[in-house]
Amino acid sequence: MSGYVLRRLLQAVIVLIGVSILVFAIMHLVPGDPIRQALGTRGTEATYLAMRERAGLDDPLVVQYFNWIGNALTGDLGVSFRSGRPVSELILERVPATVSLALAAIVVALLIAIPLGTISALRPRSVVDWFATVSSQAGLSIPDFWMGIMFILIFAGTLGWLPSGGYVGLTDDPVEWARHLIMPAITAGVASGSILTRFVRSSVLEALGQDHVRAARAKGMRARDVLTWHVLRNAMLPLVTVGGVQLAYLLSGVVIVEIVFAWPGLGQMALQAVEGRDYSLLQGAVLLFAVIFLVVNLVVDLLYAKLDPRIRYQRAGS
Amino acid sequence: MAPTRRRQLRTLGALALGLSLTLAACGGDDEGVPIDDAPADDTEDPGAADDDPDADEAPRGTLIAAISGEPDQFDPHATSAYASFQVLENVYDTLVAPDADGEFQPSLATEWDTSDDGLTWTFTLREGVTFHDGSDFTAADVVYSFNRIIDDEMANAFRFASVDEISAADDHTVVITLTEPTPALLANIGGFKGMSIIPEGAADEVDLATEAVGTGPFELGTLGAGGITITAYDEYWGGPASIEAVEFRYIGEATTALTALRTGEIHWTDNIPPQDIDGLGDESGIEVGVSPSVDYWYVALNQAVEPWDQIEARQAVAFGINRQQVVDVAQFGAATVNQTAIPEDSFWYHDYTPFDHDPGQARQLLDAAGVDEGQPLGLMVVQDTEGVQAAQVIESNLAEIGIDVTIEQEPSSTWLDRQAEGEFDAFMWSWLGNLDPFDFYHAQHYSEGGFNAQGYHNDELDGLLEQAAAETDQDARKALYDQAAELIAGEASYIYLYNPDVVQAWADGLGGYEIRPDRAINFENVTLPE
Repeated sequence: MSGYVLRRLLQAVIVLIGVSILVFAIMHLVPGDPIRQALGTRGTEATYLAMRERAGLDDPLVVQYFNWIGNALTGDLGVSFRSGRPVSELILERVPATVSLALAAIVVALLIAIPLGTISALRPRSVVDWFATVSSQAGLSIPDFWMGIMFILIFAGTLGWLPSGGYVGLTDDPVEWARHLIMPAITAGVASGSILTRFVRSSVLEALGQDHVRAARAKGMRARDVLTWHVLRNAMLPLVTVGGVQLAYLLSGVVIVEIVFAWPGLGQMALQAVEGRDYSLLQGAVLLFAVIFLVVNLVVDLLYAKLDPRIRYQRAGS
Repeated sequence: MAPTRRRQLRTLGALALGLSLTLAACGGDDEGVPIDDAPADDTEDPGAADDDPDADEAPRGTLIAAISGEPDQFDPHATSAYASFQVLENVYDTLVAPDADGEFQPSLATEWDTSDDGLTWTFTLREGVTFHDGSDFTAADVVYSFNRIIDDEMANAFRFASVDEISAADDHTVVITLTEPTPALLANIGGFKGMSIIPEGAADEVDLATEAVGTGPFELGTLGAGGITITAYDEYWGGPASIEAVEFRYIGEATTALTALRTGEIHWTDNIPPQDIDGLGDESGIEVGVSPSVDYWYVALNQAVEPWDQIEARQAVAFGINRQQVVDVAQFGAATVNQTAIPEDSFWYHDYTPFDHDPGQARQLLDAAGVDEGQPLGLMVVQDTEGVQAAQVIESNLAEIGIDVTIEQEPSSTWLDRQAEGEFDAFMWSWLGNLDPFDFYHAQHYSEGGFNAQGYHNDELDGLLEQAAAETDQDARKALYDQAAELIAGEASYIYLYNPDVVQAWADGLGGYEIRPDRAINFENVTLPE
């Protein structure tokens, strides 16, 4: 087991190095100059050149890369060019809002997906199944910005039940934190929930057809117990994988939902970094996103082994 | 719509006239505007606010303002982001500052004097001013601030192009010596908060990107990802602000901002899509402020690319664009068409309209220039801006005269790159906060101008602009700029389209706030609704 984890960590390091080179290269090769962006249209050529030099952008790309990665290894992600603030500080500032939204959204997604997917699998081609299929299709098709705006107009505007946007820290005011979280979490959670509903449905259907389920039924086990012990446990395996990816996606920021609800998350920050060609900030953010995906995938795989003993034995034996 | 909901400010004439009066006054006698005892805004604009707060009243309440952009940083000398200046406007001061009419008023300088040759400007500084860290404001701070911009080649260094030296004659006198007369000096050093005064040595002592040590009515608070709060500085030289604090929230989505305004979560916002102006003005509880701005939108054709090197071809495009249609579609009417840069209310306005929409004339000019039907034209616009809709109108306008427009939407960073490298047929862009023609004409149309990306070169114009830059008689100066305007617009160095309106909305009952043509927002005299 520990050997497996070690191997995975080693792989993760290699992936991270690859990601760092890739993001660095892409950022520096796409058109767009951070200095021109910062200067706007009014600076002179002399100012432009002086600022370029100060920012170290005149060094060869390889030198710039090793400067950056060398500092990153010591935990120093550099200073954001646009804001003049340390990248790590800017990222940390947005972690609480991002984690709040991601966790709440994944809870919403699971609350939608598990019941809806299970019921529709148990009653294939029934009204419930039809409803699940249509609603998950709708959940995927409705643009999140439109859904978010509708929520705002109805629940904040007309009904006045919820604040229209913004973020309040959990430690500052738990009630307001929750009130501000509801609409963005549902908006972000619906799309993930729709994706997950289909997975739950198909994996429950698949599990229902398995021999051991038939055997359990044949020996007279109660339908609910069959569902709980034999169907859902098996069906949850793929859900863990897909749900993990969904969580990682939510953790790396849901730009549109963040913009609509004025939610100060990582997605908005990354978008602004792209627009402003804020190299160090975007590189830091993308590295973080890569780490999130790697960690979530690792946890998913470990969880997999936990949920399905066959996987553990197989790997231990290989 | 109730007429009171819209405040159409007809102010620009006063702006420029004011400048000329100030300059005339500074020439000789001592009319240097002694207003030491009162907050400048209270005395300058008696008609501005319905219920100006009593200056002695205790500060109360927090104003919540939603701004659509997000500040990049708070170093006034380094940032070029409007969102940053919305906050900094309330935190820092400049030597002189434009009032709501655009007229330059004393701020940290109480009066100024120009030598007969126009080469030496002497500024008398306000006494009893302290920075937010408690230190006294003196001439050394001015010398330091301006030299920082010059020596570090910061974004605004070009505004000191004609400055030879900045020195402190004594603690409260600053002398600026010039290499040539510079009538636009006040606009250059006080046109906006990019020229703020910071304490001597501040750049080495504090992190100006995240902290502010200003002399303004509010102190900068702790930075947050979703917004920033500024709190009243009780020792402010103009008297304490009428409210305790202003909380700026960054709300990028207009529906969210407007819903928050309707529900009373916020008091003020600038995030109003043009199509919502009319409907919003009819709602109770909301006041919409609309003011003509000093900004302009235009199209520039690359004169290094055939056939746009020919004046006739450019003029044809100018005839081919239906400006009123552009304004109606892109701005929902919240703009004024213009064929020159300067809006009608300005002292500098010159009535010159050679290019009323005329497709027939346009086609004739194209034929004369040997431009065939189907001539391609790439029109570069920044993505997700009002420019995109405008470009779509222009595309259909120019199709009528046989020009095949391709709209090229670019992110602003790429747009700026291509513009700087000259890799475009045409671009559409706006120029903001124009107070003195020197600022924009020189940059955009002088042969060696910093933003002459279209590559216009005209010796006669260069001569006019050089003369105007150094002409201290304001009427003579205007006459020169009138001639310049006819060359610039007439030869279609730029094809000017319109001056957009400034649009802001606030909760009914918010007192003491004034919408301004230069988009500066001042909250020091605001009172909250009951």
